[in-house]
Amino acid sequence: MIPPRLKRFYHRRRLNDPEFAFLFEPGPEDELVCFDCETTGLNPSRDDIISIGAVKIRGDRILASERFQRIVRPKAAMSADAIKVHRLRAADVAYGEGVETVIPDFLRFVGGRPLVGYYLQFDVAMVNKYLKPMKHIKLPNPMIEVSEQYYERKYGDAPAGSHIDLSFAAILKDLGIPPLDAHDAFNDAMMTAMMYLALRDLKARGVRIARQTHVSPGYGG
Amino acid sequence: MPNAFDAANPPFDRLTPGEIEMLRAAIDVGYFKPGATIVRAGGDGQSLFIIIKGAVEEREGDELVGLLGPKDFFDTRAIVQGAAAHSFVAREETLCYLAPKDVIQRLIRDNARFGAFFYLDISRKLEAIARTEDEMRSGSLMRTRIGDLFLHPAEFIDATATIEQAGRRMREINSNTLLLRDAGQGVGIVTGMNLSKAVVLHKMPITAPIAPLAHFDLSTVAENDFVFEALLEMTKSNKRRLAVKRGDEFVGILEDIDLLGFLAGNTQVIAGRIDRAKSLADLRIAAREIADQVRTLRRQDVRFETIAEIVSDLNRRLFAKTFALIAPPDLRKRGCLIVMGSEGRGEQTIRTDQDNGIILAEPVDAAMLDGFRAEFTAALEEFGYPPCPGNVMVRNPFWSKTLDEYLGNFNEWVAAPDQNAMMNVAIFYDAVAVSGRTDLLKRAKTALIESVRAERVYLARFALAVESFETPISLFNTLVATDGALDLKKGGIFPIVHGVRALALEHGLEETSTEARLEKLGELNVLRADFTRDLLQSFQYLSTLRLDSQLEELSGSRSLVRPAELSSVERDLLRDSFKVVKQFRDFLRRHFNLGMFG
Repeated sequence: MIPPRLKRFYHRRRLNDPEFAFLFEPGPEDELVCFDCETTGLNPSRDDIISIGAVKIRGDRILASERFQRIVRPKAAMSADAIKVHRLRAADVAYGEGVETVIPDFLRFVGGRPLVGYYLQFDVAMVNKYLKPMKHIKLPNPMIEVSEQYYERKYGDAPAGSHIDLSFAAILKDLGIPPLDAHDAFNDAMMTAMMYLALRDLKARGVRIARQTHVSPGYGG
Repeated sequence: MPNAFDAANPPFDRLTPGEIEMLRAAIDVGYFKPGATIVRAGGDGQSLFIIIKGAVEEREGDELVGLLGPKDFFDTRAIVQGAAAHSFVAREETLCYLAPKDVIQRLIRDNARFGAFFYLDISRKLEAIARTEDEMRSGSLMRTRIGDLFLHPAEFIDATATIEQAGRRMREINSNTLLLRDAGQGVGIVTGMNLSKAVVLHKMPITAPIAPLAHFDLSTVAENDFVFEALLEMTKSNKRRLAVKRGDEFVGILEDIDLLGFLAGNTQVIAGRIDRAKSLADLRIAAREIADQVRTLRRQDVRFETIAEIVSDLNRRLFAKTFALIAPPDLRKRGCLIVMGSEGRGEQTIRTDQDNGIILAEPVDAAMLDGFRAEFTAALEEFGYPPCPGNVMVRNPFWSKTLDEYLGNFNEWVAAPDQNAMMNVAIFYDAVAVSGRTDLLKRAKTALIESVRAERVYLARFALAVESFETPISLFNTLVATDGALDLKKGGIFPIVHGVRALALEHGLEETSTEARLEKLGELNVLRADFTRDLLQSFQYLSTLRLDSQLEELSGSRSLVRPAELSSVERDLLRDSFKVVKQFRDFLRRHFNLGMFG
């Protein structure tokens, strides 16, 4: 595995557009971006992004009022399954913008801030799919995986063979976060941001999540 | 938020879709770890916080004054006044929506109904509601349908009938109006005045047929029409009577006097009727009309305190007149008729029961007194004032005796304060003189006050009754209904009335109404001015709700309310009112050291 710093260096050298050099500078202190994509399917090489939702976190505050919420007009046809999941029909995304304008806007929104997400690798791979041919780079931002944080707080000291559930719903439930309308990129990003703040605080205070499912200290509801 | 911000949660349900969008676009989310201060007392809250999950303590100094949970929001005072009165601290991990102050202030300005929630405290909220009620008074009146009004029967008489037959029929049906059918002209109307004029002014024989006297330019309204349509029709056609129809069928006659009586109430008429009454029979009609007034006034959105004042005034006039008609001169000269309990406090609306008595300056003829006792109580019962189950009535010799005998009782009541004695003190302390020697009651009350006001333990025992019933509100300030209903009297009205009574007794106040006592206690700084106002508003709001609930129940004695049947505004006010009651009980517990009774 290539050390991250080396990877950054490599990508920075490859960047063909100096306007986006900011991606390689550290973002404002204490700020992160939580993001989520909705796609036509689950295969980054074949499927397309149809919407991106992202929100900044500054300190303990989720800046929902400065949201990034865009719909993309996909190039590939949408699979029927994907339509069922995210409820964006071809007719809805027809009003979207071209991905070549949405991706640069998204990069400007993110800047050098670390990215937070749930199974973030998939979303990053989806963005990179477009970014690579455009700017010859991949997203260089540090990444924070919420399911890993959750795993560490809940199963970090679990005996081998424990039943492990890292589903989005399980995390919401353990943290007592009321579910918003799911499968909307922005709402998913919001819920992920709430998870991140709660998990980060649990870690800072050294509080673990109890494994006997519904009794988790301090998270009565 | 975003898309899932719960706009159905009051007060946000008052916003228009456009306003909700504006708010949603402006909202952030904050995370607070346990112990984090979200709003500092005195701080200028830059946001309104709406709890998504978690629990937040509202603190005044070190004292916990409230615990807020999901969907609660704070701090309205910081938003409206610019400074928070209390501090708000996360008790556990808490997530809140943060609505920017300037957006909320703009919504408050633009949307009066939404704004009503953000007034400084409950009093302001209640006043805001009262104002809307004022604005809507004509509205709600006008929403009533003609079929709901008192209508005279649509009685038809043969067109060939004579003046005499028509006159007799009118007397039989106790109406001044008859309808008749004419083959050529359709349906016509003939009134008592038409008959009189024909005979007196035109010297027609009473055997003359009525058809020529009838008017066929009948004005009609439908039973389902609104009252305002009847008013319009009368004005437009300059008619004093309208025929009311259901489809093609005539179902009644609406007279202007009944329409106006409905619109205005007729309390002044009743007062005059009582003053002019020559017999108990005259008073009986007035007594029935007093009872009818309550519904009429309430339908016009007149609030509890005003109705109680009117009804108490009329009741006292009626009792005084009854006393004047029944009591022998000797008794009127030496005695004082008093009313006690809620009647004495002037807080009686729907009739509950008689609470009355007599104080005599000196012994009177025993036979005469006995006769009066029975006659007076029976007369009131006959008027529809139910006898008191506790027998607190003139009929009971215990409540009709000499001043000296009362004074002797006071010492016993205080020395051996059992439940009965305590109740006797409570209802006697609320007494007012209705007729006769008012100085006797004044002397009795002074003695009663003197015998208890310095007795700390007695007063505490007296005040302890406020602990008899739970106030139906949870730690989280949510309403706690039993079988879907809340008892307004036990949970709210009684603790206020009795707590205020205990404080008033302790301070030797002569006022009898809860309102007047509260004002005096505020002046004496026993209670803080703003808390005094909150208590009074809560008392009046709970009483108004109770009155509505009683009016709905035919039996008229229930004081239950079903939160699910209230509007979100009413529920919110109810919650605030119970919150005030809870604070008052906490105050009484400390003030009288009620903890000593375990």
